[in-house]
Amino acid sequence: METKIDRRALLGTAAMAAVAGAAAPARRRAEACIFLWLGGGMGQVDTFDPKAVGNGTRTGKPGSLYPSIPTTVPGVRVCEHLPKVAGIMERLTAVRSVNHKVIDEHAFATNLVHTGRMISGNVTYPSIGSIIAHTRGAGAPDVPAYMLIGYPNVSRGPGFLGAKANHVYLTDTEAGPSGFSRPATVDARRASEREGLLAGLSADAPGGVPLAAYRQAQEQALRLSGPGFLRHFNLKDESADVRSSYGGEFGQRCLLARRLVEAGVRFVEVSHNLNFLNGTGWDVHNEGIRNQHLLIRELDTALSGLVIDLERRGILDSTLVVVATEFGRPPEFDGRGGRGHQGSAFTMVLAGGGLRHKGAHGVTDDAGKKVLEAGVSIPDFHATILASLGVNPALELMDATRPVPVTDGGRPVEALMG
Amino acid sequence: MTIRPQTIDWIHSLPPASHDMKTLFAMVPLLLAVQMAWAQSGDSTKPAKAPDPKVAAKAPGLKDFPPAKVDAGALPKAMVLVELCESGLSPDKNLWPESPPAGSEQYPERAFALFRFPQRYIDTGIRADRPNPLFVRASAIVDLPPGKHRFLLRARGASRVTLDGKVVLTTPFPPADSGGHGTIKPPGQYLNLSPDFRFAPPGNREEVIEARLPGGPVVVVLETIVGGILGKSRRRPEPGETVVAWAPEGTSSWRLLSPAGETVPYTDEGWESYQAERNTHLDAVDASARASCRKADSEAMAGKRQADARWLAGQAEIALPAIGATGGHPIDRFLESRWNLGAAGQGSDAGEAVALLESKCFQCHSGTKAKGGLRLDSRQALLAGGDSGAAFDQAAPAKGHLMSRLRSTGDDRMPPKGDPLKDSEVSLLARWLGAGAPWAEPLANAAKVAVTPPCDDLTFLRRATFDTVGVPPSEGEVRSYLAWPARTRRAKAVDRLLADPRRADRGISAWLDLLAENPNILNPTLNNTGPFRWWLRESLLDQKPLDLMAMELVRMRGSERYGGPAGFAVASQNDSPMATKGVVLAGAFLGVQLKCSRCHDAPGGGRPQEDLFALAAMLAGKEVTVPATSSVPADKLHAGGRKALITVSLKPGSSVKPRWRLDDIVPAGSVENSLADREKLGRLLTSAANERFARVQANRVWRDLMGRGLVEPPDDWDRARPSHPELLAWLGRELVRSGYDETSLRRLIMNSAAYQRGSDPSLVATDPLYRAPARRRLSAEQVVDGLFAASGMPMRLEEVSLDIDGVRDQGNSISLGNPGRAWMLTSTSNERDRPSLSLPRIQAVCDVLEAFGWRGARQDPRATRDDSPEVIQPAILANGTMGLWLTTLTDGHAATAMALEDAPLDRLVERLYLRYLTRKPTPAEAARLAAVLSPGFESRKVEGARGPTGPRLPDPYVSWSNHLDPEATVARQAQEARAKAGDPPTTRLEPGWRGRLENVIWAICNSPEFAHAR
Repeated sequence: METKIDRRALLGTAAMAAVAGAAAPARRRAEACIFLWLGGGMGQVDTFDPKAVGNGTRTGKPGSLYPSIPTTVPGVRVCEHLPKVAGIMERLTAVRSVNHKVIDEHAFATNLVHTGRMISGNVTYPSIGSIIAHTRGAGAPDVPAYMLIGYPNVSRGPGFLGAKANHVYLTDTEAGPSGFSRPATVDARRASEREGLLAGLSADAPGGVPLAAYRQAQEQALRLSGPGFLRHFNLKDESADVRSSYGGEFGQRCLLARRLVEAGVRFVEVSHNLNFLNGTGWDVHNEGIRNQHLLIRELDTALSGLVIDLERRGILDSTLVVVATEFGRPPEFDGRGGRGHQGSAFTMVLAGGGLRHKGAHGVTDDAGKKVLEAGVSIPDFHATILASLGVNPALELMDATRPVPVTDGGRPVEALMG
Repeated sequence: MTIRPQTIDWIHSLPPASHDMKTLFAMVPLLLAVQMAWAQSGDSTKPAKAPDPKVAAKAPGLKDFPPAKVDAGALPKAMVLVELCESGLSPDKNLWPESPPAGSEQYPERAFALFRFPQRYIDTGIRADRPNPLFVRASAIVDLPPGKHRFLLRARGASRVTLDGKVVLTTPFPPADSGGHGTIKPPGQYLNLSPDFRFAPPGNREEVIEARLPGGPVVVVLETIVGGILGKSRRRPEPGETVVAWAPEGTSSWRLLSPAGETVPYTDEGWESYQAERNTHLDAVDASARASCRKADSEAMAGKRQADARWLAGQAEIALPAIGATGGHPIDRFLESRWNLGAAGQGSDAGEAVALLESKCFQCHSGTKAKGGLRLDSRQALLAGGDSGAAFDQAAPAKGHLMSRLRSTGDDRMPPKGDPLKDSEVSLLARWLGAGAPWAEPLANAAKVAVTPPCDDLTFLRRATFDTVGVPPSEGEVRSYLAWPARTRRAKAVDRLLADPRRADRGISAWLDLLAENPNILNPTLNNTGPFRWWLRESLLDQKPLDLMAMELVRMRGSERYGGPAGFAVASQNDSPMATKGVVLAGAFLGVQLKCSRCHDAPGGGRPQEDLFALAAMLAGKEVTVPATSSVPADKLHAGGRKALITVSLKPGSSVKPRWRLDDIVPAGSVENSLADREKLGRLLTSAANERFARVQANRVWRDLMGRGLVEPPDDWDRARPSHPELLAWLGRELVRSGYDETSLRRLIMNSAAYQRGSDPSLVATDPLYRAPARRRLSAEQVVDGLFAASGMPMRLEEVSLDIDGVRDQGNSISLGNPGRAWMLTSTSNERDRPSLSLPRIQAVCDVLEAFGWRGARQDPRATRDDSPEVIQPAILANGTMGLWLTTLTDGHAATAMALEDAPLDRLVERLYLRYLTRKPTPAEAARLAAVLSPGFESRKVEGARGPTGPRLPDPYVSWSNHLDPEATVARQAQEARAKAGDPPTTRLEPGWRGRLENVIWAICNSPEFAHAR
């Protein structure tokens, strides 16, 4: 039963009224988000929104590169390289009608999908991870709220929300988190000697209030560099069966993400950028497309492994899984058989998070170039993520004294809100 | 694969007594026995004396390009004459010219080695571009011994070398842009001609020949085409490493071809020291060129100074307060005069309550358009009430509108946005209203702080050095400072520091934030600007007057891509670039915050949209249109069901003419109406009558040195009141009087007692009355630069570029050079998340910088950084890669050399404290460290081991051109691993003892004391 309701917070979009009003049943919010980032632009007609097969040449017939297969959801088909995902399709929703109209340049579109906003020059907007870290905080003491397995850049940063909403990152599962894993030349004994020396020097020259505040942050940092936090990164704790169910390095990153959300990390972004599989990663211009199927299969294993593992551990409903990308790719082929960029219609996928999944949402035309039904803008997609995590999409963040709506007029996709 | 040099026989020798080149050329038929560079393709060479058709194809026009007619008499003695030729090349094709172009500029060089050209400057000394492509010719008479010598030509652009008119070496035009699909160059494909041969850096092509010379003077001419056409754009006008080197017969010792009779080894070491010397020389050449430009402008500048003087003469003098206990320095007199402020009200609530109203309510409830007709910015206004009647009833204050709105939980709650007032704040206001709302200066309630005595000499030196040049003082600087007479040593230190060119490296950081300098090394689409940091740096090096700096910025002329103020005009993918720049200029130069006015009228009677867009139109020099994408739509304004807090007075699509609307700051009529818009704007900003400009600058400098501005926040004076209005006015006048010279203002402040006071450890922030400074945390750049400096290690990172072989078009890729100081870094721009595009060493330093508040991408202007402690700050220093580099005793670390000296342990400990903390250790500290370092100290030195000597191999390089090659990912990940591991420690110290010394250094580096001012 709701206690004191802040009416102003509830006013706003009609969708929000539906969520908060008496009509819909109360939905438990998700506790964490795992955000899989397919950098480069995942081609939707070759993955989650298959169309008639084309012939792979610039002058020939455009279309999917691979035939499609049925899934456990009647009427929903996916590319033949996603068989495992097809087998659990009822737990996912491929949102096929995502679209934007910005220039199809990687950095710019990446920024749009991460922040939900156009760059203004007036303010640096925060990423979705920082927004969630800022509004929900970490789920446990002594873990960061937001972690990134990938490279830092401004689109993933906190913008005006400030350093507290920033991420801790690592670039691969062998390395530990930057700043919290000790160098190889410093074992536990040496770390202890160093910390003892540091504590002694700090006591010798206390230096007053500002230094004491810094020292306090330092003590917490040194605690986090110890086994308590770092054990989450030890994937060898997992059984071989579980590890192999996730597949290769990208899958192991997803497994690490599961462990981190179990430890209380609120938002983990996992980038799929291992371009040595096919040279270009998801950005399959020219010859890059030749081994695209290897990437898709890797995604298939990792995504299905993650969803099934989350479910087995009883946390699928409380963990929202997002598969995001900066734009899609056109059905036409380029001069060497690859594909260019396309923002007018592409797919991003949602799983878990207590949403009402239906395999697919939204309809594109037969070519896969235009949205025909139920278009979902990037702000709408953000609003859906926020609503799943129990963050009011009508919320206003504060940049000093300036209120900034948490999305740019986005509304959660009603069909998915359970 | 070995490369066989091609041999040509020299069949001609110079006539003995004459250097008449025209006769020469008339006599000798041209031999075109040239082989192509094979370094990339690995083709075997073909002996040929006839022109090779492949050559003609790869070097279009080369076979028809006659050799230059060199006037040997005009060549400088024992120097290379470099000529930059701006005409003669095809404007849209990569082609050799039809005839040797004439030089437009010329200058002498030491050797046939071109890696950097003197900058071109225009106007008052701003960088400008030369035409692209640019033809460059270097000529000299070189005395060569007889013999069969080898000659190497290495170059980025199409080049050729002639000896006495005979073409002996060429390189082709650069290859096309592979779009990332190139391949890694395997080590075996690198030219390798001696044990210490310098492998070709990325993006250069080369050729080697053997030539038999008869001995004697030879006319050498190197010609190269810099830059070039690339599709619809150009390549960057960089010479790469364009070098002619030679190895005398019978040797493998390669040296630069140089007429001066000196031998500059063309090895990695030799090249590095040659570059260092040339960079120093070219810096001086550039500085002198800038000075000439300003000299040419000196009449206009003199005119301005005269106008400034006339204005000053017409102002009433600002009376200096009486001399007090803190002495006669005007700053101290002004500050001390306000220490006697008593609480003007009854009880301590008054000051706090007014300060609370100021921070939470004034935004909407002040000025002529206060919301609800209620002004809260004076006692009279508060008592007068607003549209709903009286705000409070003195008899029962809790019952009035003000308190009930503060306590409301409905949608009429005040403040309407953001967090509600805390309970303690609400009670404070209730108490204060109950007492009759006595008004007080907020300052009167500043907590009682004792005036601290001056800090000690070494503390002063550390503070002044960090504040001026951004690093701690070196041991040498400490020694000479302490040797100066005590009475004058501080003033002398200030003078020395203000003359140190490193002040530019420290001062630039605040400007980069304030002006939102935001270059991008890869496809700039994120509100990026050009790299006008180079203009900023040169302005600071030259101690350019602030009014001239502002004028140059507003004019936005010069080079857009390579460091002129024109780069400021750029805001990629921004829907209204000039509005963005208007916000920047208003904040930085006028203390007016216009960012709200971008999308709606500023709330609470603030500046309407038209103020910003009229300013934007002045910058644009014509009408601007308000974009729909930057306007709050009408339905959003009224969302929430209450009266909108903001208005939008300019409909999207409306057109705004250029006009100065900030008449409250300086009237538009102060400058001639006939001037062009940008010029008019510049004059309005910088005329002496614009006291706001001078005061905003003075406040910025004051805030930087004193830890707190006289006006806070420094970029929004509409909502702030100066804490010391007379001091602020006086400082503004002094700035004008000095010719807008920031250095003299810094000197003035640094010589005051207030600046030199010892810090009060109980303070979190500097006392608003400046009775004592707080121990402020160092800025991100000071932490990083300070640790590098104290460890004696130069910053050796990757080049700040993702196109190190110069293949891409200049619109998409620039290089920001080899960074030596933290400010030179930028965002690593790996939005694509490709491991092959990471810059691991730069990233390791960026991780530290960003943790401490630096921004790699500056999309919006900032006047303030967040200084509060975050867990990631000590974490990244303690465990991160940069921390590892600086706490490992490599052979290059200063502490290694110190430890190897024959000196007692306590001397070593003392020197460590001096280097890192600029003080001597206390007995307790010395004892603590001695306990750790005494064991094994006597036997610390060991015989150094020689590292394993395997074959010397070049590092495969990764650049945009080959980053999609899977081998590139492998290579880059190897670089990441090497960066993470750092250099190996020295083998000349016993490992156990060395490890303990490393622990000590780690503890000192990570001590909270290092990261804070003392």
